[in-house]
Amino acid sequence: MVQIVISSGGTGALAQWLLVELQGEVEPRQSGGLAGSLLGDLHYTHEGVPVLIVGHHILYGKVVQLEKPFAVLVKEGGAPQPSPAGPHGHYTVTALIKTKLLFKTRPKPIITHVPKKV
Amino acid sequence: AAVRSRAEVDATLQTAKLNPAELLPAVHCLSFGPRAGGECCLLQLEPGLCAELEAGRSLVIRGEKDEHAVLCSKDKTYDMKIADTSNMLLLVPGCKTAEELNADPASCNIIHSQIAGFSKNYWELRRCRPKLKKLRKLLMEDPYEGPDSEKDQTSTFSKYTTEDLLSLIQASEEEILHQLQVIDACKVEGYWRILDFDYEMKLLNHVTQLIDSESWPLSKVPLCACLEELGSLEPREMIEHILLSYGRKYVDDGEIFFEMREDKICRAIAQMLLQNAVKFNLSEFQEVWQQSVPEGMTTRLDQLQGLALVDKSSRPETIFLLKVEDLPEDNQERFNSLFGIREKWTEVDITPYIQDLCAEKQTVGALLTKYARSSMLNGVKVYNSRR
Repeated sequence: MVQIVISSGGTGALAQWLLVELQGEVEPRQSGGLAGSLLGDLHYTHEGVPVLIVGHHILYGKVVQLEKPFAVLVKEGGAPQPSPAGPHGHYTVTALIKTKLLFKTRPKPIITHVPKKV
Repeated sequence: AAVRSRAEVDATLQTAKLNPAELLPAVHCLSFGPRAGGECCLLQLEPGLCAELEAGRSLVIRGEKDEHAVLCSKDKTYDMKIADTSNMLLLVPGCKTAEELNADPASCNIIHSQIAGFSKNYWELRRCRPKLKKLRKLLMEDPYEGPDSEKDQTSTFSKYTTEDLLSLIQASEEEILHQLQVIDACKVEGYWRILDFDYEMKLLNHVTQLIDSESWPLSKVPLCACLEELGSLEPREMIEHILLSYGRKYVDDGEIFFEMREDKICRAIAQMLLQNAVKFNLSEFQEVWQQSVPEGMTTRLDQLQGLALVDKSSRPETIFLLKVEDLPEDNQERFNSLFGIREKWTEVDITPYIQDLCAEKQTVGALLTKYARSSMLNGVKVYNSRR
């Protein structure tokens, strides 16, 4: 039987990450994948409302404390698709996620797109 | 990768017609990290599991290739399933909330945050019953018939240690150890064994005969005297094991005694009688049964729940062996099997045969509603198959 261990590696407290949840797809402007490319700027209003500017859109979101936190698992050996049917393996818990920024409202398009030369 | 400057951020704000005065000064510039592929995956944690991981404990995914995978903590088992969301989930290390930014006045103006991974799905967990039927099946491959049994010497069957069982059973360690206790398994030379029923009855008989000849009260059977008197007939560990299985251990004035368990002993003797035929005349059985149990014990039909079934429709009434542990583990298969044995069941009769299927907060009633159809028969509510 396959046994895959999920553990934190025991070196100190687990990192806390944030989850950013967006509707739909995120596509790179240029071909060549997303790696290395910018997504956008994340601001917060004084009331704590997250505001994300992505490309030509402004997204307003809200902070959600997750009832069920997530563990971020990274497979040892770097296989791309995690699958319980593989041979004995090990997943490391890299971080925990207890909060997410949920952007559900329809993005407001930025109508005037005039990049300002600085 | 381009690194955004304050000026660029401000320019974007202006284009977007957002008023910087309404925003906190700090901004996160999010970009995709160099390895932001599908290497990370998300596991949604049920209550308690987060604390387990934070305490440094591990979880284990277990399953054969043809089984659904389960996730086990030290003491619980969960079904695993992939949940798809239509949304994009971005994993951002070191991203702060507004609260955290406000709490730290020295927050950098521009925080360059790299998205470590993204996903459109995550693993979802649901607490489930541990898959323990396999445990009994494995141990029944080679029941222990005693030290004199030639079979044990030359046995080619696998024997299982705790570690072996952990690698074969889809359950947590505590659930496995608990079940081993429930089925009265014992360790012989480091391996978990189930006693062959005839051998078990032989051991029990030694003890009950001794109790009778010594006129000990059933509630106060001394361990030492048993070991002394019976030690020449059977291994001491086996004598102690049978006392532990069929009695409740306690200490009185520094000495160990056992309070014999009437219900369990009567039940075992009933099994011994019933396994010799397909069915019995009920009243004849009850007579023989009462005569076969130790002096001072009283037999009752309710001691046989989940072991035997009475057929009240036959003339004369009959009783036959039906062990719940021989029935399928899967809910639907269990009900199919039960309705194959008998078309219509009362709730009282069927309960002992479905009780073990109940999930954490599920009732027998809920199971019946889901898997059976009810009707009235001679003024009594009965359940039959939905098929």
